[in-house]
Amino acid sequence: MDLDAPLDFENEDNLVSQPVVNKKRKIVIGLDDLLTDHYKQKSKLIEKEKKKAKASKNYNSDEDETGKEALLSNIVNSCQNKMQDIGGEEEISDWGLQIFGNEKNPPSLDFPQLGSCKLLQDFLNNEVNSLVELPAEDGETFLEGLLINGWLSKLVIRRGHVEKSIATWTFNLILYSSKEELRASACDFWCAILSCKSKVDALPTKIDWFPRYSELNRALSIYGFSANFSSTAESVNTNSGSRGPPQNLITWIKFIAACCQVRSKKSIFFTKEAEELVEVVTCLFLDRRLQALSVLLSECIQSVINYFTDQEWNTSCQKIAKSLALRVPRDLNCLRTVDCIAGVNNRSKHLRSTVAYQILLVCFNNEATREEEILNLLININVKEKHCDLFRMYIYLVLTENWFLSCPNLQEKPVINEMWGVYLRNCSCQISSTDMRPYASKVRNKASYLLQGLTNK
Amino acid sequence: MLLRVIVYVLNGQTHVLLFCLRMFDGVKFPSFVLDVVMEKTTHKRSNRTGIEENTLAILESTEAKDTRDTNDDRIAFIEAVRAASFIPETETAPTYPDAVCSERQAARANSIGPPDFSGFTLLIQELGGVVNGTNFQAVDTEYLRNMLLLQYLVNVLEGDFLPQTSNWNLLRESLLNILLGSRRINYKVLMKDCLSILSGLCQARAGINNDHGCSENSGTKPSEDCDPALVFALLDAEKNTCVAFQKLLTIIMELDTSKINADMLGHTTRADGVRTPLMEIIVDELNYDRDIVSPFLQVGSSFRRIGSTYTKLHYILQPSVRTRRSNGPKDEATFDGILKYFSNSINLRNFVKKMSTEIVQLLLAHAFQAHLTISSQYIDGNGDSKENIGNSSLVQICEDIICAFKSLRAIDE
Repeated sequence: MDLDAPLDFENEDNLVSQPVVNKKRKIVIGLDDLLTDHYKQKSKLIEKEKKKAKASKNYNSDEDETGKEALLSNIVNSCQNKMQDIGGEEEISDWGLQIFGNEKNPPSLDFPQLGSCKLLQDFLNNEVNSLVELPAEDGETFLEGLLINGWLSKLVIRRGHVEKSIATWTFNLILYSSKEELRASACDFWCAILSCKSKVDALPTKIDWFPRYSELNRALSIYGFSANFSSTAESVNTNSGSRGPPQNLITWIKFIAACCQVRSKKSIFFTKEAEELVEVVTCLFLDRRLQALSVLLSECIQSVINYFTDQEWNTSCQKIAKSLALRVPRDLNCLRTVDCIAGVNNRSKHLRSTVAYQILLVCFNNEATREEEILNLLININVKEKHCDLFRMYIYLVLTENWFLSCPNLQEKPVINEMWGVYLRNCSCQISSTDMRPYASKVRNKASYLLQGLTNK
Repeated sequence: MLLRVIVYVLNGQTHVLLFCLRMFDGVKFPSFVLDVVMEKTTHKRSNRTGIEENTLAILESTEAKDTRDTNDDRIAFIEAVRAASFIPETETAPTYPDAVCSERQAARANSIGPPDFSGFTLLIQELGGVVNGTNFQAVDTEYLRNMLLLQYLVNVLEGDFLPQTSNWNLLRESLLNILLGSRRINYKVLMKDCLSILSGLCQARAGINNDHGCSENSGTKPSEDCDPALVFALLDAEKNTCVAFQKLLTIIMELDTSKINADMLGHTTRADGVRTPLMEIIVDELNYDRDIVSPFLQVGSSFRRIGSTYTKLHYILQPSVRTRRSNGPKDEATFDGILKYFSNSINLRNFVKKMSTEIVQLLLAHAFQAHLTISSQYIDGNGDSKENIGNSSLVQICEDIICAFKSLRAIDE
């Protein structure tokens, strides 16, 4: 029997039993405390001695410490440098070129010969003018009003005749007017007279004057367009505040498209000029400030591509591609170039493919002249090698992909298809998923994606 | 980023692009847009829904940080989808009403219920906030996005509408009719908002010219130090938004006309409900706010489908004409009818009392332009029927107009 255990009645009375237990425990704890206090004091002593030792060291060994600091900072510096190196490699500039430089002064928009145009003279001499009472010197303002409200195109189409003075006046408004409404209306006017069908009861509209390519080209250079931008190519910072080309560029693009769409009736440009137009419009895609015009630009480029006759197209396509390949820098800009030729029909696919192929040829400094040779060069690149430039590899990969988009030889020569497969396998299997080199994962993913498409065929 | 995506949206009647927009901008699109997209894709080709869902799933799963690489990948992927499945499709889209009808019914049967259009109201309100100047700070990419979104939606609605058909059963099922009949939207308020945005945009655009290049001062113009890309984008987008609103109003009026015709033939049912024709709302607004007449008509002159401009004008003239002679001959429905009515100087005087001389002149000028366009369309063999043109020769009409202008001057003096 436990003698310390509370008696039966004690259990019932908490007030009596509790203090007893507490007392006993306190005594036990008290002994433990003594012991821990002892150890605590001991450890404190040891710490104090350590601190003293440290303090004496600090006072006595300055040289030793600076040596360590220097070592540490060296390590940190080299680390930082390495980080910067790695970071710098990844910092491959985005696409974007300064296509437009300084604007030149536009020609004067004064148009004295407009007052003598027959349309206006007829009106002034008509009895209706007694109602309007238009003074002869206000002729231009009157015509501007007719133009903006859409009457001018209706009138000239009814008359079946566009006089030279009206044609040149409106053309100049398109290119150089600073008033949005005027240049937009002038552009609508030209679209209307160019596309107007010959009516049953009306004569087909006779247009006395058509613009020449040289004039359109001159306007572009007045806007600040520099044809040989590749020599002064530099990445454009969109925040640099440099002002873009004038907004007349919008109507310029629309006008080009309208001119190209009426080839069946009137060929306004020579084949060589149309080739140049394709190049120029493609280059406009490379200016980041014109991104908002992408829709207009794509429509325009399609119109120009469709301007060629079937006989002209094959040679023109080669010429355009060769010239573009020499123009564009071989960085992300060349991918953008290929990208902006939307492959929506056979011709544009053909052009896209040809441009990609020609850029590839230029990338290899024309070492290869045949399709198999190019693929051989690509296959022989060792992606495992430490210094292999995977960014270049990425560009080659995308270019080759686009080249095969519309390549008739692909069906005729199965060897090319096989080589393409080998190249893709090289890229997808020889680069490991843990490869930390810049562009490693992009090349790998792209190649495996394309490989999947190839094997599914 | 948004600018880069614009191309995709405007280039195509492609739906994936909306998802694309949503992702890049980091903004969730209102669900109604997705509904429209789903609706459109389901009744175009039913198995395409699969693609859409997969696309959505893939795009949603790439929640990685917004680096250039991921963006490149997304764009490349979307481009691939577009090239693979959408571009050839648009060229050979079904044009036969019957095919569409059966597809539409099939789609309706297994679709997820009627689209919820309440977001449309929100979109219009947001646009209105910027255009009518209650929200000056908002001239940014979000404004641009809203404009592009509206253009896209109007394209979808227009493509779905099939204006040539006279089959009310088809039109009843059109997205436009469902949108306007939706209980989630307040139709009248929505239309009034559309009108005020349209006239606001036109006034802002006219301001560009009156200020002679000081366009940066006006409400919806970006400031000098704005991104030049945005300046270009806004200039073009506002113009196209005007066109989109005109298109929207035009197809609504065409729907109204079809409904009236179907009503007369007894093809409508009680379920079709009653909706005030848009033209009546416009006339109310014009009577209430004279200031918008001029911009509104100016807009009208650039209508592509002039046919309804003409309808519009004769509607504007009609109520005043009809209140005078409520059961008069239907002569006023044609332009020469209107001119004959005005040739009576008492009629003209009464009309000028209601509206100012300036507005009457404007109305006549625009109606004349519309008449010319319609008659040339008629000669080409397409467009409206002869009954809209009237019987007078062009010379006769010109003389009548000169006569009307002469009497207007006489009234003024």
